[in-house]
Amino acid sequence: MRKKPTRKPTIRKLTDSALRTWVAGLIRRQRVIGVQADGERFAFKPLTRAEDLRLDYDVTKIPPKKLFQPAAEPLLEYDQAANYRSIFETEPFVLFGVHPYDMVAILQMDQVFSEKHCDAHYFARRQNATIVVCDVQKASPNVFAGCMGTATIRKGYDVLMTRVGGHYVVEAGSPKGEALMEGLKNRPEADEASLHRREQVWEDNAKFLVRHTLRMKPAEIPALLQRSEDHPVWEEKAARCFSCGSCNLVCPTCYCFDVRDDVKWDLQGGMRRRYWDGCMLLNFANVAGGHNFRKNRADRYRHRYYRKGLYVPAKLGGEISCVGCGRCITACVSKIANPVEIYNRLLEER
Amino acid sequence: MSKPKVAIFDFACCEGCQLQVVNLEEEILDLLSVVQPVEWREAMSEKSDTFDVAIIEGSITRREDEERVRAIRERAKVLVALGACATVGGINKLKNRFAMEEVRRCVYDAAADMPHLDTYPTKAVGEVVKVDYQVHGCPISKKEFGYILRCLVTGKEPFVPTYPVCVECKMQENVCRYEFNEVCLGPVTRAGCGAKCPSAGFWCFGCRGLAEDPNVQAAREVMAEYGKTPEDLQGRLQLFNGGKEQAS
Repeated sequence: MRKKPTRKPTIRKLTDSALRTWVAGLIRRQRVIGVQADGERFAFKPLTRAEDLRLDYDVTKIPPKKLFQPAAEPLLEYDQAANYRSIFETEPFVLFGVHPYDMVAILQMDQVFSEKHCDAHYFARRQNATIVVCDVQKASPNVFAGCMGTATIRKGYDVLMTRVGGHYVVEAGSPKGEALMEGLKNRPEADEASLHRREQVWEDNAKFLVRHTLRMKPAEIPALLQRSEDHPVWEEKAARCFSCGSCNLVCPTCYCFDVRDDVKWDLQGGMRRRYWDGCMLLNFANVAGGHNFRKNRADRYRHRYYRKGLYVPAKLGGEISCVGCGRCITACVSKIANPVEIYNRLLEER
Repeated sequence: MSKPKVAIFDFACCEGCQLQVVNLEEEILDLLSVVQPVEWREAMSEKSDTFDVAIIEGSITRREDEERVRAIRERAKVLVALGACATVGGINKLKNRFAMEEVRRCVYDAAADMPHLDTYPTKAVGEVVKVDYQVHGCPISKKEFGYILRCLVTGKEPFVPTYPVCVECKMQENVCRYEFNEVCLGPVTRAGCGAKCPSAGFWCFGCRGLAEDPNVQAAREVMAEYGKTPEDLQGRLQLFNGGKEQAS
């Protein structure tokens, strides 16, 4: 989808105050969604003041997927004559402060939503976004991106920011990113020392964003799953599963949705919306005629791991559809949703 | 298409769900454009023995209630249970843990022997007659009531979640109440409320009843991890779910 910039990308060095000035300027001109404190945790929210941007965050509660596929999204309006009008509620925006693992997830979703039929609603939002990725400055309690090869990213973003010592190195990764960095043309180019320290940050993040250690290479997961269908771990963990879908909904690569209509009081026209869905939910696999082909809790529990480690990778040329953000581990009330624990367990004797 | 005649009947409850319907305010005109109310104690004086749709608010707590609701069911083409008291028995089921004589004396004292106070263990409407549509919650959501009513008059099956409240909590980007070390009934309670209570900083009270195939056994086991006991869970479940414990 993206062309590699042919000329050398712009790389600048930015102090904290220069960053604030830049962001304040962006806010004046366009919609900016940035990471901010939300209670004790963090969330992507519309940014109204540059000083609210928190690039030192550990992880957001919900991944940036909510900007491309909202939890409840209007798709179309229909009327009595079966005419319909598609609804596209989107405008250009800057998405500021996405972590590399979340950017990897967005790139995966770009592939998923363009498979066979291009999802117009997803891409309307996606094409409106200019994404500023920021390398992780603080490890979240359950991150394991270091094991998944997603702790850092070298493509796909519009701008990449890395904190090195007391300032940022800011690099454009696309024409959109170059345009966003227009406002920085009076700032100094990044010097050799800063670039060298940036390499060090990347090395460190790959090493240290590992709160849980996967005892295999991600590429080995599909084969491992293929021989684990009847492993006892599925039943064992599912006994504690609420089928509440929390692990699905907080996952940056869970994209399943349900489509529902709501007829207006005139009983003729109405609105069609899509809502987040999740394969852990009891009626997720309910089909016409009332048959549920995944009624068993353990079947659903197992399905999530197969989806991330085998089925979706088949669509993605082998790439594992778990980016190691660790949100599912945190969100699960029963504490049974740790992918690292499960994959490691599959390596063991039964 | 002639508008279906609708009658709203109240049984043991606070009538707050009926009040929610009255509180539709301007939307009442929309409501009147699709149905014709013929009996509705909180909103009109007229009564009627003829109706297409019976909306039952409240739970069944006496033998005479049972007879009355059966008679209503016979006359109605469609029957709707309105609110937690009607759909799950609601807080009226709290009394079911005690002897009825004790309950009568405690509440009515000297008047306990009056014939109209002859209470028996609370039943949800669905435990007595066939219910076609359920509008859950304490109180009901006006929005969901309107949606279900529109589905009813157009003959569509409404989407009423069977999954737990956690789904809507995540959609609202709430932090789990368990992270605040609270016992929340969200993981076993039917969603559809939009996770109102957790979004306002409270644990889920379970007013929409249990989710379909709830894993109450898991909830019991999980208590220890949060320094709680199964009794803590049980206490909360009793409020709206009659202490019902069904392990799946």
